[in-house]
Amino acid sequence: MIASLLAQASQVPFEAPVIDFHALAPEIVLVAFTAVVLLVDVIKLEEAKRLIPGLTGLAMLASLIPVISLALDGADRSLFGGAFVVDNLSLVLQAMFLLTAYVVTLLSSNYLAEGDFWESEFYLMLLSSVLGMVLMCSARDLVSIFVALELLSIPAYMMATWEKRNLRSNEAGLKYYLMGVFASALMLYGMSLLFGVSGSTLLTEIGAAIEGGSSSTPIVTLGIVLVIVGFAFKVSAVPFHTWAPDTYEGAPTPVTAFLAVASKAAGFVALLQLIFVGFLGRTDVIEPLMWVLAAASMTVGNLIALRQTNVVRLLAYSGIAQAGFMLAPLAVSGSNPDDALTAVVTYLLIYAGMNLGAFAVIIAVSRKTRSGEISSLGGLFGYAPGLTVAMTLCLASLAGIPPLGGWFAKFVVFRALTAADTPAGYALAIVVALNSVIAFYYYGLVLKAMWFSPAPDGDTTPIRVPVSLLSALTITVAATVLFGVFPGLIGHFTGNLAGLLSFAGG
Amino acid sequence: MVAQNIFFAIIALAMVASAVRVVTTKNILHAALYLVVVLAGVAAQFIITGAEFTGVTQVLVYIGAVIVLFLFGIMLTRARIGREEHVDGERRWIAGVVALMLFAVMTYALVDAFDTEALDARAVLEPQTTEMVSDAIFHDYLIPFEAVSFLLLAALIGAIVVARRE
Repeated sequence: MIASLLAQASQVPFEAPVIDFHALAPEIVLVAFTAVVLLVDVIKLEEAKRLIPGLTGLAMLASLIPVISLALDGADRSLFGGAFVVDNLSLVLQAMFLLTAYVVTLLSSNYLAEGDFWESEFYLMLLSSVLGMVLMCSARDLVSIFVALELLSIPAYMMATWEKRNLRSNEAGLKYYLMGVFASALMLYGMSLLFGVSGSTLLTEIGAAIEGGSSSTPIVTLGIVLVIVGFAFKVSAVPFHTWAPDTYEGAPTPVTAFLAVASKAAGFVALLQLIFVGFLGRTDVIEPLMWVLAAASMTVGNLIALRQTNVVRLLAYSGIAQAGFMLAPLAVSGSNPDDALTAVVTYLLIYAGMNLGAFAVIIAVSRKTRSGEISSLGGLFGYAPGLTVAMTLCLASLAGIPPLGGWFAKFVVFRALTAADTPAGYALAIVVALNSVIAFYYYGLVLKAMWFSPAPDGDTTPIRVPVSLLSALTITVAATVLFGVFPGLIGHFTGNLAGLLSFAGG
Repeated sequence: MVAQNIFFAIIALAMVASAVRVVTTKNILHAALYLVVVLAGVAAQFIITGAEFTGVTQVLVYIGAVIVLFLFGIMLTRARIGREEHVDGERRWIAGVVALMLFAVMTYALVDAFDTEALDARAVLEPQTTEMVSDAIFHDYLIPFEAVSFLLLAALIGAIVVARRE
């Protein structure tokens, strides 16, 4: 019986896939370091707590080496029939995720060591989540995108609830998890419809199958909308944002920084690939959907942010509004694809720097005040002028004041919208402009508390900032200022992104 | 294909009836057991369409693992086992309306797209799908496969940390 089955099976020869190990090197390095971290933790136990943060940081930087070598090599690589692609877009974003994760490691090391946390396992979660993000940058088929999404999300759910004895942290993790799996279910249903219509999981082939009027519109629309709604949860776009403020407030602050920057960016990366590789033939569906999501996110996020008294919640709502700014160029993805793609990537890179910087200052200050209220920042300039200046730069950048990075980010979004030269594009540009003005107000409230209000309890002992936190602050603030003063710098990284489109078509 | 259609209809009706009972029964244990019928029905539909590997996997994973996990979850927590009067949500009518609307949209989209298209009979009569699945996993989907194994490791470690008693 078994022999005959085997004989039957061997009639169809199995062809081993050709694997380009250079293209996979960033992922392989990351996996290898994760295994080392796991082994060090198991062998050294208590001693490991001192080694592992450094090892994790090293893992992120070591994975950057193959990213750089691939970038210097310059050739686009495509594996598994186009399911795994290395091109300029994926390399720029991989570098962003690895650097973001490095900064998050710096933010975490003192925070975890001083609190009631499981330490070594936390870094394993961080490494796994980052691996998912790095994979997401190269994933160009539905199965890879889904697996990468789960690989980056599931460790993140657990990181949000890492402060086990704190009920708020438990609530944060549970809410994030329930909303996350709900979004995954919707997205999977959408993916199954798209697969049913096109018969392929490859984004390029799906794009060819659904283009124009070649297939029935209702089912393609339903599939695209469900998939995009799944990622709208991830990037906390209105009306799928309800988990974000509670999760951000309850989770340990370094995790919040990670969720607000890296996890959100990963959602955008997936959206970019789905839209620009897969759905560009159906911008009649994409553009109105993105228009509504962008306008709603900007407006609702900003209006609720005006009323916040907790600085982490404020950043959560401002993050929702910022997600709206990043979604805005996608509303002209059909009429102006090159500019739209470049604008989103530019915004993502700058947003990572300025938002991480703001969280770094909050972590530093709350080491002393043990509070996240805006009033607790009162009188900060009196006893911590350095932190005040850093926070001012980050918030001014988030608000979009020249010559900081955030200004340039808003400028490219605005340019992409107006260059599309469509009524919808101009209308959204007006919404962007109005919302940029509203945002000045609540960022201004925080600045006012820091510079002009007295310290709430009269306690003006200086804050001791540990070395790792100081390096995180230096990196993020430097990025925020440099990207603004030399916008050409970021153009250097994002200049050839349009190459992605020709690659997808070819 | 007629026999397949008849069996499809019988199984589908049983699935719909059980699915309704999952959300209307007052006993949470019964709800889990009705879910077994629904999931077994899905497995049977897969087998009818010639996807025997997917069908068997459905039984192994959903009935063998997920439902057992549900039952353990119900028994090991403080939830009451037996009939309960207050398991219905307050907004069940709104939920029902939303579910009906969703059903209408999906039915319309599916009928509009596939209408009278028939499944390729040869694909059903010459099932080779187990072979095709294994080829697909180790050829086209090698990277997602490796990533899933890594995901399981991370989930395991995280779950131990979150669940362990201190």
